[in-house]
Amino acid sequence: MKKMAVLMLVAMIAVIITGCPEKPPPPPPEEPVEVAPPVEKDTTPAPAPPPPKPKLTEQQLQTVYFDFDKYNLRPDAKASLDANFALLQEFPDVILKIEGHCDERGTIEYNLSLGEKRAKATVDYLVGLGIDPGRMSAISYGKERPVDPGHDEVAWAKNRRAEFRIISQ
Amino acid sequence: MRRLLFLAFLLIPIALSPGLRAQVDDDDVRRFYFDTISGEYQATPIGVDDMKYIGNRYITHEDSVLMYYTTRIVQSDIDFYADFELVPLDSFFLKTYEINEMSVLGWRRLGADLLVKLEAEFPADKLRVRWRLYDTIKQQQFARGVLERSKVDWRILGHEISNAVVHTLTGEAGIFLTKIAYCKEVGEGKEIFIADYDGANEKQLTSTESINISPCFSPDKDELYFTSYMRGDPQLFKVNINNLEITQVAKYDGIVAAPAISPDGNKIACVLSKDGNSEIYVLDLKGRVIKRLTRHQAIDTAPTWSPDGRMIAFSSDRSGSPQIYLMDSDGLNVQRLTYQGGYNDSPIWSSRADRITFVSRTKYGRFDLASIDTSGIDYRIMTEVGQNENPHFSPDGKHIIFSSTRLGPRDIFTMDITGRNQSRLTRSGRCSNPVWGPARK
Repeated sequence: MKKMAVLMLVAMIAVIITGCPEKPPPPPPEEPVEVAPPVEKDTTPAPAPPPPKPKLTEQQLQTVYFDFDKYNLRPDAKASLDANFALLQEFPDVILKIEGHCDERGTIEYNLSLGEKRAKATVDYLVGLGIDPGRMSAISYGKERPVDPGHDEVAWAKNRRAEFRIISQ
Repeated sequence: MRRLLFLAFLLIPIALSPGLRAQVDDDDVRRFYFDTISGEYQATPIGVDDMKYIGNRYITHEDSVLMYYTTRIVQSDIDFYADFELVPLDSFFLKTYEINEMSVLGWRRLGADLLVKLEAEFPADKLRVRWRLYDTIKQQQFARGVLERSKVDWRILGHEISNAVVHTLTGEAGIFLTKIAYCKEVGEGKEIFIADYDGANEKQLTSTESINISPCFSPDKDELYFTSYMRGDPQLFKVNINNLEITQVAKYDGIVAAPAISPDGNKIACVLSKDGNSEIYVLDLKGRVIKRLTRHQAIDTAPTWSPDGRMIAFSSDRSGSPQIYLMDSDGLNVQRLTYQGGYNDSPIWSSRADRITFVSRTKYGRFDLASIDTSGIDYRIMTEVGQNENPHFSPDGKHIIFSSTRLGPRDIFTMDITGRNQSRLTRSGRCSNPVWGPARK
C-alpha cells in the first residue's frame, strides 16, 4: 500500500511538474496549426491539377461529313456533333476552331464559301445545343487541305468535312 | 492544229449522215471552228524562216545559237497566236529539191499564205533583227521593220518581233510580252508565281509558307492582289511584283476572297463573309467597303467585271446549285444567265465580246470550260477531257488560260477562245489558279 501511495504521489508530482510548464506550450501547438492551413492550401492546388490531366484531344472530337455541294447536317453528322457536345460540356475550358473543307470538285472560290458554310453550320448546331459561341470560331480551307488526295467518291466523301481543332484548354 | 483540221473534216460526214443526228445535236456545241467574234473562222498559215546572218564578219558559235533560239521564240509565238497557224519548215522538201534555203514560192508550196523572214546583225554586242513580211501568193514583201536589243534580252527581242508581226497583220497589240501569274504548291503551302506568257522566266512572288490563292493583277500597277492564310483566316493581301513587298489590303471577320480589280483599277470586287455568309462587296484600294452588292443567304462569289466596268457577273447557289448571274455594278438588276447543267461557276468576262467563259459541270460529272453570250444564248463547251478550272482571258481576249488535270496532276494550259490549240504550259503538276496579266506599253 505504501508503495502504491508513493507511486501515486510521484505520479501526481510528475503531473504537477509537467502540468505546470504545459501552460506556455499552447502557442507551439498553435503554431503548427497556423502553419497547417498554408500547407493545406498548398496541397489543395496540388490535387487540383489532376482533374485537368485527362485533357480533351482532337482525336476524341468526331469529324463531321457532308454531301457534295451541301452544307446541311446529315443525321450521322448530328449524331457526331451530339457526342462532341457531351465532350465539350465535360471540358468547359476548351476553345475550338472549326475548319470547313470541301472535295476537289468545283472551283476554288466557290468551295471556299462552301467550306465556311459547313463550318458555320457545325458551329450553329453546337450553339443550338448550348455551347457558348465564344468558344468556337469557324474557318474555311475550301478544297486546299484534303485528307485523302484521291480522285474518287471514297476520297471525296472523306474530304467534305468539318474538323475540330483545339486552340486552347 | 493539223490534227484538229483533220478531225473537223472527219466530223463533217458524221454531221451529214441522218442516222447520227441525235448524237450530233448533243455534240454540236463542240464545233472546232467557231469564233466568238466573227463566226466561222480559219487560222492564217504563216511560215517563219530561220534567221539569216547578213553581216560581213565571221560570227561566233554563241551568236549562231542566239539566232536559232530567237527564231524559235518568234515561231512559237506565231504558232500560239489564235489568228495564225505556223507552217513548219519541211527539211524533207529541202533535201528533195537539194536546196538549203526556202524561196517565197517554196513556202507557198508548203501551204503558207504569209512568210516572216528574219535577218540578224551583231553591232556592238547587240542583236539587231530586220524582219520582213511576204505575201506568198503575190510573192511580194509588204512590211518590214528593225528591232535591236542587247544580246541578253534575246527573248524579249523575239517577242517584240512577234508583236510587230501581229500588229502589222491584225492592227492589234500583241500579247507576247504579257505576264501570267498562278499558284504553285511549295511544301505545305501554295505560293504565288509570275512568269512570261509562255511560262518562261518563272519567279516566286510569295514565300509565306501558307495557302495563297486567287491572284488578280492590278490593271495599272505592278501589283497582284490575292487571298492568303498567312495570318490565320483567309484575308486580302497584295504583293509588289518588283520588290516582293506584301501588304495587307483588307481585314474583316470571316473570309475575304475572290478579288477582282475593276477595269479602271480603282475598285476591288470581292467576297466578304462578315455578315455570316458570302456576299459580294466593292472595296476601295485600301480595303474600305464602298458598297455591298448582294444580299442573299446563299453563297455569292467569284465576281468578274465587264470590260466597261458597268456590270459584274458572279456565281451563286441561290437556285440550289451554283449558276452564273449578272448584275449592274451597283448590285441592281440581278438576272440569271446560265441554266445548263447543275454547276456553273468561276465566270470570267471576255475583254473582247459580250461573252462569259466559266466552269460548267458536263457529262459524267466532268468540269469543263464553257462559254455563253451575255444574252444567255449560244452555250458552248470548249474542253472535253480532265477537270478544267479557273479560266482567264488574255488582255486581247483571244486566248484563255486555265488549269486542268487532263494529264494527271493539275497543270496550266492555254487555248484559243474557240477551244482550239489547247496546249500545256507548266509541267510541274502542282500549278493551279492561273490569271493573265494586263497589256503593258
